[in-house]
Amino acid sequence: MNNAIETHGLEKKYGDVTAVDDLSLRVACGEIYAFLGLNGAGKTTTIRMLLGMVKPSAGEVNVLGVPIRIDGKKPWAQVGHLVETPHAYPELSVRENLELIRRLRPGVPAQNVNRIIEQLGLNTYAERRAGALSLGNAQRLGLAKALLHAPELLILDEPANALDPAGIVEIRNLLSELARTQGVTIFMSSHILGEVSRLAKRIGIIHQGKLIQELNIEELNRNRRRRLLVRARDMDAARNVLQSAGFSAVLNSNDTLDIKDDAAIRQPENIATRLVNAGHPPTLLQVDEEDLEHYFLRLVGMTPENSK
Amino acid sequence: MKNILSALWGEYLKARRSKMPLLTALGFAFVPLMGGFFMIVLKDPEMARRLGMVSAKAQIVAGNADWQTYLGILSQGTAIGGIVLFGIIASWVFGREYSDHTLKDLLALPTTRSEIVLAKFFLVALWSAALVVLVYLLGLAIGSLIRLPVASTEIFWQSSITLAVVAALMILLVTPIAFVASAGHGYLPPMGFAIFAVFFAQVIAAAGWGEYFPWSVPALRSGMAGPEYDNLGFVSYALVVAASIVGMVATFVWWEWADQVY
Repeated sequence: MNNAIETHGLEKKYGDVTAVDDLSLRVACGEIYAFLGLNGAGKTTTIRMLLGMVKPSAGEVNVLGVPIRIDGKKPWAQVGHLVETPHAYPELSVRENLELIRRLRPGVPAQNVNRIIEQLGLNTYAERRAGALSLGNAQRLGLAKALLHAPELLILDEPANALDPAGIVEIRNLLSELARTQGVTIFMSSHILGEVSRLAKRIGIIHQGKLIQELNIEELNRNRRRRLLVRARDMDAARNVLQSAGFSAVLNSNDTLDIKDDAAIRQPENIATRLVNAGHPPTLLQVDEEDLEHYFLRLVGMTPENSK
Repeated sequence: MKNILSALWGEYLKARRSKMPLLTALGFAFVPLMGGFFMIVLKDPEMARRLGMVSAKAQIVAGNADWQTYLGILSQGTAIGGIVLFGIIASWVFGREYSDHTLKDLLALPTTRSEIVLAKFFLVALWSAALVVLVYLLGLAIGSLIRLPVASTEIFWQSSITLAVVAALMILLVTPIAFVASAGHGYLPPMGFAIFAVFFAQVIAAAGWGEYFPWSVPALRSGMAGPEYDNLGFVSYALVVAASIVGMVATFVWWEWADQVY
Protein backbone atom coordinates (compact mmCIF):
# COMPACT_ATOMS: atom_id res chain seq x y z
CA MET A 1 0.00 0.00 0.00
CA ASN A 2 1.59 3.26 -1.15
CA ASN A 3 -1.31 5.56 -0.58
CA ALA A 4 -3.04 6.08 2.75
CA ILE A 5 -5.96 7.77 1.01
CA GLU A 6 -7.12 7.34 -2.56
CA THR A 7 -10.28 8.64 -4.15
CA HIS A 8 -11.41 8.17 -7.74
CA GLY A 9 -14.02 10.39 -9.37
CA LEU A 10 -15.60 11.15 -6.02
CA GLU A 11 -18.87 13.03 -6.27
CA LYS A 12 -21.55 14.10 -3.83
CA LYS A 13 -24.81 15.71 -4.88
CA TYR A 14 -27.52 17.07 -2.61
CA GLY A 15 -30.46 17.48 -4.97
CA ASP A 16 -29.28 19.89 -7.66
CA VAL A 17 -26.29 21.06 -5.65
CA THR A 18 -22.98 19.35 -6.37
CA ALA A 19 -20.95 19.61 -3.16
CA VAL A 20 -18.00 17.54 -4.45
CA ASP A 21 -17.34 17.00 -8.13
CA ASP A 22 -15.09 14.34 -9.70
CA LEU A 23 -12.49 14.47 -6.94
CA SER A 24 -9.47 12.22 -7.34
CA LEU A 25 -6.95 12.45 -4.52
CA ARG A 26 -3.88 10.49 -3.56
CA VAL A 27 -2.26 10.92 -0.20
CA ALA A 28 0.94 8.91 0.17
CA CYS A 29 1.72 7.06 3.38
CA GLY A 30 3.67 9.24 5.79
CA GLU A 31 2.75 12.43 3.94
CA ILE A 32 1.26 15.57 5.43
CA TYR A 33 -1.38 16.66 2.95
CA ALA A 34 -3.28 19.92 3.30
CA PHE A 35 -6.71 20.14 1.76
CA LEU A 36 -7.33 23.79 1.18
CA GLY A 37 -10.51 25.58 0.27
CA LEU A 38 -12.81 28.43 1.17
CA ASN A 39 -15.81 27.82 3.43
CA GLY A 40 -18.35 25.72 1.53
CA ALA A 41 -15.77 24.49 -1.01
CA GLY A 42 -16.54 20.84 -0.20
CA LYS A 43 -13.79 20.06 2.33
CA THR A 44 -15.98 18.73 5.11
CA THR A 45 -18.19 16.76 2.72
CA THR A 46 -15.03 15.12 1.34
CA ILE A 47 -13.81 14.33 4.85
CA ARG A 48 -17.18 12.83 5.76
CA MET A 49 -17.00 10.65 2.64
CA LEU A 50 -13.47 9.53 3.57
CA LEU A 51 -14.81 8.51 6.98
CA GLY A 52 -17.89 6.73 5.62
CA MET A 53 -20.29 9.20 7.24
CA VAL A 54 -21.70 10.35 3.91
CA LYS A 55 -22.18 8.08 0.91
CA PRO A 56 -20.70 9.30 -2.38
CA SER A 57 -23.14 9.84 -5.26
CA ALA A 58 -20.41 8.43 -7.50
CA GLY A 59 -16.79 7.36 -7.26
CA GLU A 60 -14.73 5.39 -4.79
CA VAL A 61 -12.83 5.93 -1.57
CA ASN A 62 -9.96 3.81 -0.28
CA VAL A 63 -8.55 4.45 3.16
CA LEU A 64 -5.43 2.51 4.23
CA GLY A 65 -6.05 0.16 1.33
CA VAL A 66 -9.62 -0.63 2.40
CA PRO A 67 -12.52 0.38 0.13
CA ILE A 68 -15.05 2.31 2.21
CA ARG A 69 -18.40 0.53 1.84
CA ILE A 70 -21.31 0.14 4.20
CA ASP A 71 -21.06 -3.62 4.39
CA GLY A 72 -17.29 -4.00 4.18
CA LYS A 73 -14.42 -4.25 6.63
CA LYS A 74 -13.48 -0.85 8.04
CA PRO A 75 -10.02 0.59 8.75
CA TRP A 76 -11.18 2.81 11.65
CA ALA A 77 -8.96 1.16 14.30
CA GLN A 78 -5.98 2.81 12.55
CA VAL A 79 -7.65 6.14 11.79
CA GLY A 80 -8.08 9.16 14.07
CA HIS A 81 -10.47 11.89 13.05
CA LEU A 82 -11.72 15.34 13.90
CA VAL A 83 -14.74 16.52 11.91
CA GLU A 84 -15.83 20.17 11.97
CA THR A 85 -16.15 21.87 15.35
CA PRO A 86 -15.35 19.30 18.03
CA HIS A 87 -18.11 18.48 20.48
CA ALA A 88 -17.98 16.34 23.59
CA TYR A 89 -20.52 15.07 26.11
CA PRO A 90 -20.95 18.24 28.18
CA GLU A 91 -21.74 16.56 31.49
CA LEU A 92 -18.75 14.21 31.31
CA SER A 93 -15.29 15.37 32.35
CA VAL A 94 -12.45 15.65 29.85
CA ARG A 95 -11.01 12.40 31.22
CA GLU A 96 -14.37 10.61 31.03
CA ASN A 97 -14.90 11.74 27.43
CA LEU A 98 -11.50 10.28 26.53
CA GLU A 99 -12.10 7.11 28.53
CA LEU A 100 -15.40 6.61 26.70
CA ILE A 101 -13.70 6.83 23.30
CA ARG A 102 -10.86 4.59 24.54
CA ARG A 103 -13.33 1.84 25.46
CA LEU A 104 -14.98 2.11 22.05
CA ARG A 105 -11.53 1.48 20.56
CA PRO A 106 -10.74 -1.97 21.99
CA GLY A 107 -7.09 -2.70 22.71
CA VAL A 108 -6.08 0.89 23.48
CA PRO A 109 -4.19 0.80 26.82
CA ALA A 110 -5.70 2.74 29.75
CA GLN A 111 -2.51 4.79 30.19
CA ASN A 112 -3.08 6.40 26.78
CA VAL A 113 -5.70 8.64 28.37
CA ASN A 114 -3.16 10.17 30.76
CA ARG A 115 -0.52 10.37 28.05
CA ILE A 116 -2.77 12.27 25.65
CA ILE A 117 -4.05 14.60 28.40
CA GLU A 118 -0.43 15.46 29.12
CA GLN A 119 0.54 15.73 25.45
CA LEU A 120 -2.24 18.19 24.65
CA GLY A 121 -1.76 20.28 27.79
CA LEU A 122 -5.15 19.36 29.25
CA ASN A 123 -3.85 18.41 32.73
CA THR A 124 -5.44 21.38 34.46
CA TYR A 125 -8.77 20.64 32.84
CA ALA A 126 -8.79 16.83 33.06
CA GLU A 127 -11.53 16.68 35.71
CA ARG A 128 -13.49 19.64 34.37
CA ARG A 129 -16.84 19.10 32.66
CA ALA A 130 -16.40 19.27 28.91
CA GLY A 131 -19.36 21.66 28.75
CA ALA A 132 -17.36 24.21 30.73
CA LEU A 133 -14.29 24.22 28.44
CA SER A 134 -13.21 27.21 26.38
CA LEU A 135 -13.36 26.83 22.58
CA GLY A 136 -9.61 26.34 22.42
CA ASN A 137 -9.62 23.60 25.04
CA ALA A 138 -12.63 21.94 23.39
CA GLN A 139 -10.51 21.85 20.23
CA ARG A 140 -7.66 20.26 22.21
CA LEU A 141 -10.07 17.64 23.54
CA GLY A 142 -11.23 16.96 19.96
CA LEU A 143 -7.60 16.48 18.88
CA ALA A 144 -6.96 14.29 21.94
CA LYS A 145 -9.81 11.98 20.88
CA ALA A 146 -8.31 11.76 17.39
CA LEU A 147 -4.80 10.99 18.69
CA LEU A 148 -5.72 8.77 21.66
CA HIS A 149 -5.04 5.43 19.96
CA ALA A 150 -1.82 6.48 18.15
CA PRO A 151 -3.38 6.04 14.68
CA GLU A 152 -1.53 5.48 11.41
CA LEU A 153 -3.69 8.05 9.66
CA LEU A 154 -5.12 11.30 10.96
CA ILE A 155 -8.00 12.98 9.15
CA LEU A 156 -8.37 16.42 10.67
CA ASP A 157 -10.88 19.06 9.66
CA GLU A 158 -9.48 22.52 10.44
CA PRO A 159 -7.27 21.34 13.34
CA ALA A 160 -6.12 24.86 14.24
CA ASN A 161 -9.66 26.24 14.67
CA ALA A 162 -10.22 28.25 17.83
CA LEU A 163 -6.61 27.83 18.99
CA ASP A 164 -4.62 30.86 20.09
CA PRO A 165 -1.33 31.63 18.27
CA ALA A 166 0.72 29.68 20.84
CA GLY A 167 -1.70 26.76 20.54
CA ILE A 168 -1.42 26.80 16.74
CA VAL A 169 2.37 26.55 16.93
CA GLU A 170 2.15 23.82 19.57
CA ILE A 171 -0.27 21.68 17.54
CA ARG A 172 1.75 22.25 14.37
CA ASN A 173 4.87 21.01 16.15
CA LEU A 174 3.01 18.03 17.58
CA LEU A 175 1.65 16.98 14.17
CA SER A 176 4.99 17.55 12.50
CA GLU A 177 6.68 15.41 15.16
CA LEU A 178 4.13 12.59 14.73
CA ALA A 179 4.73 12.52 10.98
CA ARG A 180 8.51 12.68 11.37
CA THR A 181 9.06 10.19 14.18
CA GLN A 182 6.15 7.78 13.78
CA GLY A 183 5.41 8.06 10.08
CA VAL A 184 1.80 9.11 10.73
CA THR A 185 -0.03 10.22 7.58
CA ILE A 186 -1.92 13.45 8.12
CA PHE A 187 -4.73 14.71 5.93
CA MET A 188 -5.85 18.10 7.17
CA SER A 189 -8.27 20.63 5.81
CA SER A 190 -7.90 24.35 6.20
CA HIS A 191 -8.97 27.62 4.65
CA ILE A 192 -5.69 29.35 5.53
CA LEU A 193 -2.83 28.63 3.14
CA GLY A 194 -0.26 30.41 5.31
CA GLU A 195 -1.06 28.06 8.17
CA VAL A 196 -0.77 24.78 6.26
CA SER A 197 2.21 25.76 4.12
CA ARG A 198 4.42 25.56 7.23
CA LEU A 199 3.45 21.96 7.88
CA ALA A 200 2.22 20.24 4.73
CA LYS A 201 4.41 18.66 2.09
CA ARG A 202 1.62 18.67 -0.45
CA ILE A 203 -1.42 20.84 -0.91
CA GLY A 204 -4.66 20.16 -2.75
CA ILE A 205 -6.84 23.15 -3.48
CA ILE A 206 -10.58 22.57 -3.74
CA HIS A 207 -12.96 25.19 -5.06
CA GLN A 208 -16.69 24.77 -5.65
CA GLY A 209 -16.32 21.03 -5.17
CA LYS A 210 -13.51 20.56 -7.70
CA LEU A 211 -9.83 19.93 -7.08
CA ILE A 212 -8.33 22.84 -9.01
CA GLN A 213 -4.67 22.33 -8.18
CA GLU A 214 -2.43 19.87 -6.40
CA LEU A 215 1.14 20.91 -5.73
CA ASN A 216 4.03 20.39 -3.37
CA ILE A 217 5.56 23.14 -1.29
CA GLU A 218 8.44 23.77 -3.76
CA GLU A 219 5.95 24.23 -6.59
CA LEU A 220 3.91 26.51 -4.43
CA ASN A 221 6.91 28.74 -3.84
CA ARG A 222 7.75 28.75 -7.55
CA ASN A 223 4.19 29.58 -8.55
CA ARG A 224 3.86 32.56 -6.31
CA ARG A 225 4.26 35.84 -8.16
CA ARG A 226 7.39 37.77 -7.35
CA ARG A 227 8.31 41.33 -8.21
CA LEU A 228 11.05 43.84 -7.54
CA LEU A 229 9.99 47.07 -5.85
CA VAL A 230 12.12 50.16 -6.50
CA ARG A 231 11.95 53.69 -5.22
CA ALA A 232 14.19 56.69 -6.03
CA ARG A 233 14.14 60.44 -5.37
CA ASP A 234 13.04 61.13 -8.94
CA MET A 235 10.61 58.32 -9.81
CA ASP A 236 9.96 59.42 -13.41
CA ALA A 237 13.67 59.58 -14.21
CA ALA A 238 14.30 56.19 -12.58
CA ARG A 239 11.43 54.66 -14.56
CA ASN A 240 12.83 56.06 -17.81
CA VAL A 241 16.27 54.61 -17.01
CA LEU A 242 14.82 51.16 -16.37
CA GLN A 243 12.40 51.18 -19.29
CA SER A 244 15.14 52.21 -21.71
CA ALA A 245 17.18 49.27 -20.37
CA GLY A 246 14.27 47.01 -21.41
CA PHE A 247 12.62 46.42 -18.01
CA SER A 248 8.86 46.67 -17.62
CA ALA A 249 8.90 49.18 -14.77
CA VAL A 250 5.42 50.37 -13.84
CA LEU A 251 4.55 52.97 -11.24
CA ASN A 252 2.07 51.46 -8.76
CA SER A 253 -0.42 53.14 -6.45
CA ASN A 254 2.11 53.19 -3.57
CA ASP A 255 4.38 55.45 -5.63
CA THR A 256 6.80 52.55 -6.10
CA LEU A 257 8.10 51.01 -9.31
CA ASP A 258 7.00 47.39 -9.92
CA ILE A 259 9.34 45.25 -12.03
CA LYS A 260 8.16 41.74 -12.87
CA ASP A 261 11.02 40.72 -15.19
CA ASP A 262 12.77 37.55 -14.05
CA ALA A 263 16.25 39.01 -14.66
CA ALA A 264 15.51 41.91 -12.33
CA ILE A 265 14.09 39.69 -9.60
CA ARG A 266 17.02 37.24 -9.76
CA GLN A 267 19.70 39.96 -9.81
CA PRO A 268 18.39 43.14 -8.21
CA GLU A 269 21.99 44.37 -7.77
CA ASN A 270 22.13 44.98 -11.55
CA ILE A 271 19.14 47.30 -11.29
CA ALA A 272 20.86 49.18 -8.46
CA THR A 273 24.03 49.54 -10.55
CA ARG A 274 22.13 50.92 -13.53
CA LEU A 275 20.28 53.48 -11.37
CA VAL A 276 23.45 54.57 -9.57
CA ASN A 277 25.32 54.95 -12.89
CA ALA A 278 22.42 57.04 -14.25
CA GLY A 279 22.61 59.34 -11.19
CA HIS A 280 19.34 58.10 -9.61
CA PRO A 281 20.41 55.78 -6.79
CA PRO A 282 17.57 53.70 -5.35
CA THR A 283 16.16 54.58 -1.93
CA LEU A 284 14.34 51.22 -1.86
CA LEU A 285 15.16 47.92 -3.55
CA GLN A 286 13.04 44.96 -2.40
CA VAL A 287 12.07 41.56 -3.82
CA ASP A 288 8.45 41.14 -2.89
CA GLU A 289 6.80 37.73 -2.89
CA GLU A 290 3.06 37.39 -3.40
CA ASP A 291 1.65 36.43 -0.05
CA LEU A 292 -0.01 33.06 0.29
CA GLU A 293 -3.49 34.42 0.77
CA HIS A 294 -3.23 36.48 -2.43
CA TYR A 295 -1.91 33.45 -4.24
CA PHE A 296 -4.77 31.30 -2.98
CA LEU A 297 -7.41 33.89 -3.84
CA ARG A 298 -5.86 34.35 -7.32
CA LEU A 299 -6.08 30.57 -7.85
CA VAL A 300 -9.73 30.38 -6.91
CA GLY A 301 -10.46 33.37 -9.14
CA MET A 302 -10.91 35.97 -6.43
CA THR A 303 -8.91 39.14 -5.97
CA PRO A 304 -8.58 40.39 -2.41
CA GLU A 305 -10.79 43.34 -3.40
CA ASN A 306 -13.73 41.32 -4.66
CA SER A 307 -13.44 38.76 -1.87
CA LYS A 308 -14.26 41.36 0.75
CA MET B 1 -20.89 -7.77 18.46
CA LYS B 2 -17.77 -8.19 20.61
CA ASN B 3 -17.68 -4.54 21.67
CA ILE B 4 -21.26 -4.36 22.87
CA LEU B 5 -20.26 -4.30 26.56
CA SER B 6 -17.92 -1.34 25.99
CA ALA B 7 -20.70 0.46 24.14
CA LEU B 8 -23.14 -0.32 26.95
CA TRP B 9 -20.65 0.98 29.52
CA GLY B 10 -20.41 4.23 27.52
CA GLU B 11 -24.18 4.61 27.34
CA TYR B 12 -24.48 3.90 31.06
CA LEU B 13 -21.83 6.52 31.89
CA LYS B 14 -23.59 9.16 29.77
CA ALA B 15 -26.91 8.42 31.47
CA ARG B 16 -25.44 8.30 34.98
CA ARG B 17 -23.80 11.70 34.58
CA SER B 18 -27.05 13.32 33.43
CA LYS B 19 -30.11 14.34 35.44
CA MET B 20 -32.38 12.17 33.30
CA PRO B 21 -32.48 9.05 35.55
CA LEU B 22 -33.57 11.20 38.51
CA LEU B 23 -36.11 13.18 36.47
CA THR B 24 -37.69 10.10 34.89
CA ALA B 25 -37.80 8.33 38.29
CA LEU B 26 -39.55 11.35 39.83
CA GLY B 27 -41.94 11.48 36.87
CA PHE B 28 -42.81 7.80 37.12
CA ALA B 29 -43.10 7.87 40.93
CA PHE B 30 -46.18 9.97 40.30
CA VAL B 31 -48.06 6.79 39.22
CA PRO B 32 -48.01 4.96 42.62
CA LEU B 33 -48.44 8.27 44.49
CA MET B 34 -51.52 9.11 42.45
CA GLY B 35 -52.82 5.57 42.90
CA GLY B 36 -52.22 5.85 46.66
CA PHE B 37 -54.17 9.10 46.75
CA PHE B 38 -57.15 7.46 45.03
CA MET B 39 -57.01 4.57 47.49
CA ILE B 40 -57.10 6.90 50.49
CA VAL B 41 -60.06 8.74 49.01
CA LEU B 42 -61.90 5.54 48.08
CA LYS B 43 -61.25 4.03 51.48
CA ASP B 44 -63.02 6.78 53.33
CA PRO B 45 -64.52 9.45 51.02
CA GLU B 46 -66.06 11.32 53.96
CA MET B 47 -62.77 11.66 55.75
CA ALA B 48 -61.11 12.81 52.52
CA ARG B 49 -63.73 15.53 52.17
CA ARG B 50 -63.39 16.60 55.79
CA LEU B 51 -59.62 16.83 55.49
CA GLY B 52 -59.99 18.89 52.32
CA MET B 53 -58.18 16.31 50.19
CA VAL B 54 -61.03 16.46 47.68
CA SER B 55 -63.78 19.00 47.17
CA ALA B 56 -67.35 18.16 48.13
CA LYS B 57 -68.12 18.16 44.42
CA ALA B 58 -65.46 15.56 43.56
CA GLN B 59 -66.54 12.68 41.36
CA ILE B 60 -64.65 9.79 42.83
CA VAL B 61 -63.75 7.13 40.30
CA ALA B 62 -65.60 3.90 40.70
CA GLY B 63 -63.66 1.17 42.44
CA ASN B 64 -62.72 -0.22 45.78
CA ALA B 65 -59.81 0.55 48.02
CA ASP B 66 -58.09 -2.81 47.58
CA TRP B 67 -54.90 -4.24 46.17
CA GLN B 68 -56.52 -5.38 42.92
CA THR B 69 -57.72 -1.86 42.07
CA TYR B 70 -54.49 -0.28 43.24
CA LEU B 71 -52.21 -2.62 41.24
CA GLY B 72 -54.58 -2.09 38.27
CA ILE B 73 -53.98 1.66 38.53
CA LEU B 74 -50.22 0.98 38.48
CA SER B 75 -50.59 -1.03 35.26
CA GLN B 76 -52.79 1.60 33.64
CA GLY B 77 -50.44 4.38 34.74
CA THR B 78 -47.54 2.42 33.23
CA ALA B 79 -49.44 1.97 29.97
CA ILE B 80 -50.16 5.69 29.56
CA GLY B 81 -47.18 7.20 31.39
CA GLY B 82 -44.89 4.70 29.69
CA ILE B 83 -45.59 6.03 26.21
CA VAL B 84 -44.41 9.46 27.30
CA LEU B 85 -41.69 8.56 29.84
CA PHE B 86 -40.14 5.64 27.98
CA GLY B 87 -40.44 7.88 24.91
CA ILE B 88 -38.48 10.60 26.72
CA ILE B 89 -35.78 8.08 27.62
CA ALA B 90 -35.45 6.81 24.02
CA SER B 91 -35.57 10.39 22.69
CA TRP B 92 -32.76 11.38 25.02
CA VAL B 93 -30.57 8.31 24.49
CA PHE B 94 -30.76 8.54 20.70
CA GLY B 95 -31.59 12.22 20.08
CA ARG B 96 -28.89 13.68 22.33
CA GLU B 97 -26.15 12.50 19.95
CA TYR B 98 -27.70 14.78 17.33
CA SER B 99 -28.59 17.68 19.64
CA ASP B 100 -25.12 17.64 21.24
CA HIS B 101 -23.40 17.02 17.86
CA THR B 102 -21.55 14.05 19.36
CA LEU B 103 -22.81 11.59 16.74
CA LYS B 104 -19.83 12.12 14.45
CA ASP B 105 -17.51 10.70 17.13
CA LEU B 106 -19.45 7.41 17.11
CA LEU B 107 -19.54 6.72 13.38
CA ALA B 108 -15.97 5.78 12.44
CA LEU B 109 -14.80 3.55 15.30
CA PRO B 110 -13.82 -0.11 15.60
CA THR B 111 -17.00 -0.47 17.69
CA THR B 112 -19.60 -0.60 14.94
CA ARG B 113 -22.63 1.62 14.64
CA SER B 114 -24.89 -1.42 15.07
CA GLU B 115 -23.16 -2.26 18.36
CA ILE B 116 -23.73 1.30 19.55
CA VAL B 117 -27.40 1.26 18.49
CA LEU B 118 -27.92 -2.11 20.18
CA ALA B 119 -26.26 -0.82 23.36
CA LYS B 120 -28.61 2.16 23.28
CA PHE B 121 -31.64 -0.13 22.93
CA PHE B 122 -30.40 -2.25 25.84
CA LEU B 123 -29.96 0.84 27.98
CA VAL B 124 -33.44 2.17 27.14
CA ALA B 125 -34.98 -1.23 27.95
CA LEU B 126 -33.05 -1.64 31.22
CA TRP B 127 -33.75 1.93 32.28
CA SER B 128 -37.48 1.61 31.51
CA ALA B 129 -37.66 -1.77 33.27
CA ALA B 130 -35.92 -0.27 36.32
CA LEU B 131 -38.57 2.46 36.42
CA VAL B 132 -41.32 -0.17 36.37
CA VAL B 133 -39.64 -2.03 39.23
CA LEU B 134 -39.45 1.28 41.09
CA VAL B 135 -43.17 1.90 40.48
CA TYR B 136 -43.98 -1.62 41.68
CA LEU B 137 -41.88 -1.46 44.85
CA LEU B 138 -43.08 2.04 45.66
CA GLY B 139 -46.64 0.82 45.01
CA LEU B 140 -46.21 -2.07 47.46
CA ALA B 141 -44.77 0.29 50.07
CA ILE B 142 -47.56 2.87 49.65
CA GLY B 143 -50.25 0.15 49.58
CA SER B 144 -48.92 -1.27 52.87
CA LEU B 145 -48.59 2.19 54.37
CA ILE B 146 -52.22 3.09 53.70
CA ARG B 147 -53.22 -0.36 54.96
CA LEU B 148 -55.08 -1.75 52.01
CA PRO B 149 -56.99 -4.89 53.03
CA VAL B 150 -54.99 -8.10 52.76
CA ALA B 151 -55.42 -9.74 49.35
CA SER B 152 -54.86 -13.28 48.15
CA THR B 153 -51.59 -14.37 46.57
CA GLU B 154 -53.58 -15.03 43.39
CA ILE B 155 -54.53 -11.35 43.09
CA PHE B 156 -50.92 -10.22 43.62
CA TRP B 157 -49.69 -12.78 41.13
CA GLN B 158 -52.23 -11.82 38.43
CA SER B 159 -51.75 -8.07 38.92
CA SER B 160 -47.98 -8.42 38.86
CA ILE B 161 -48.13 -10.40 35.61
CA THR B 162 -50.41 -7.75 34.08
CA LEU B 163 -47.97 -5.00 35.09
CA ALA B 164 -45.02 -6.98 33.71
CA VAL B 165 -46.79 -7.67 30.40
CA VAL B 166 -47.91 -4.03 30.03
CA ALA B 167 -44.37 -2.84 30.81
CA ALA B 168 -42.86 -5.28 28.31
CA LEU B 169 -45.30 -4.14 25.60
CA MET B 170 -44.49 -0.49 26.34
CA ILE B 171 -40.75 -1.15 26.23
CA LEU B 172 -41.15 -2.91 22.89
CA LEU B 173 -42.84 0.23 21.54
CA VAL B 174 -39.87 2.55 22.18
CA THR B 175 -38.05 1.44 19.03
CA PRO B 176 -40.09 3.60 16.60
CA ILE B 177 -39.35 6.56 18.93
CA ALA B 178 -35.63 5.80 18.67
CA PHE B 179 -35.97 5.85 14.90
CA VAL B 180 -37.83 9.19 14.91
CA ALA B 181 -35.12 10.64 17.21
CA SER B 182 -32.41 9.48 14.78
CA ALA B 183 -34.13 10.46 11.55
CA GLY B 184 -35.47 13.66 13.13
CA HIS B 185 -32.00 14.62 14.42
CA GLY B 186 -32.86 15.45 18.01
CA TYR B 187 -35.33 15.39 20.89
CA LEU B 188 -38.33 17.28 19.59
CA PRO B 189 -39.61 15.08 16.73
CA PRO B 190 -39.73 11.91 18.91
CA MET B 191 -41.44 13.82 21.73
CA GLY B 192 -44.05 15.00 19.24
CA PHE B 193 -44.40 11.41 18.05
CA ALA B 194 -44.95 10.17 21.63
CA ILE B 195 -47.62 12.79 22.27
CA PHE B 196 -49.40 11.86 19.03
CA ALA B 197 -49.14 8.19 19.98
CA VAL B 198 -50.89 8.87 23.33
CA PHE B 199 -53.56 10.92 21.56
CA PHE B 200 -54.24 8.35 18.84
CA ALA B 201 -54.12 5.49 21.35
CA GLN B 202 -57.03 7.14 23.19
CA VAL B 203 -59.04 8.06 20.11
CA ILE B 204 -58.59 4.72 18.35
CA ALA B 205 -59.35 2.76 21.54
CA ALA B 206 -62.49 4.86 22.06
CA ALA B 207 -63.52 4.10 18.47
CA GLY B 208 -63.27 0.40 19.30
CA TRP B 209 -60.24 -0.41 17.13
CA GLY B 210 -57.70 -0.32 19.91
CA GLU B 211 -56.87 -4.02 19.58
CA TYR B 212 -55.33 -3.24 16.21
CA PHE B 213 -53.35 -0.11 17.13
CA PRO B 214 -50.05 -1.03 18.84
CA TRP B 215 -50.01 1.99 21.16
CA SER B 216 -53.54 1.18 22.43
CA VAL B 217 -52.76 -2.46 23.16
CA PRO B 218 -50.83 -1.98 26.47
CA ALA B 219 -53.60 0.25 27.86
CA LEU B 220 -56.26 -2.32 26.90
CA ARG B 221 -54.16 -5.10 28.41
CA SER B 222 -53.89 -3.07 31.62
CA GLY B 223 -57.66 -3.20 31.99
CA MET B 224 -58.24 0.47 31.36
CA ALA B 225 -61.18 -0.17 29.04
CA GLY B 226 -62.68 -2.93 31.16
CA PRO B 227 -62.19 -6.63 31.73
CA GLU B 228 -63.43 -7.63 28.25
CA TYR B 229 -59.91 -6.90 26.96
CA ASP B 230 -58.20 -9.17 29.51
CA ASN B 231 -57.62 -11.75 26.82
CA LEU B 232 -56.40 -9.82 23.81
CA GLY B 233 -55.93 -11.89 20.71
CA PHE B 234 -52.66 -12.96 19.20
CA VAL B 235 -53.01 -10.25 16.52
CA SER B 236 -52.77 -7.44 19.09
CA TYR B 237 -49.52 -8.76 20.53
CA ALA B 238 -48.18 -9.53 17.06
CA LEU B 239 -48.88 -5.94 16.00
CA VAL B 240 -46.90 -4.58 18.97
CA VAL B 241 -43.99 -6.90 18.19
CA ALA B 242 -44.20 -5.97 14.49
CA ALA B 243 -44.14 -2.21 15.30
CA SER B 244 -41.14 -2.86 17.55
CA ILE B 245 -39.25 -4.81 14.89
CA VAL B 246 -39.99 -2.17 12.25
CA GLY B 247 -38.75 0.58 14.59
CA MET B 248 -35.62 -1.37 15.49
CA VAL B 249 -34.69 -2.34 11.93
CA ALA B 250 -35.38 1.21 10.72
CA THR B 251 -33.06 2.61 13.42
CA PHE B 252 -30.24 0.20 12.52
CA VAL B 253 -30.66 0.92 8.81
CA TRP B 254 -30.74 4.66 9.43
CA TRP B 255 -27.49 4.64 11.42
CA GLU B 256 -25.73 2.47 8.85
CA TRP B 257 -27.09 3.86 5.60
CA ALA B 258 -28.23 7.45 5.95
CA ASP B 259 -25.87 10.35 5.31
CA GLN B 260 -24.80 11.57 8.73
CA VAL B 261 -24.09 15.27 8.58
CA TYR B 262 -24.73 16.21 12.23
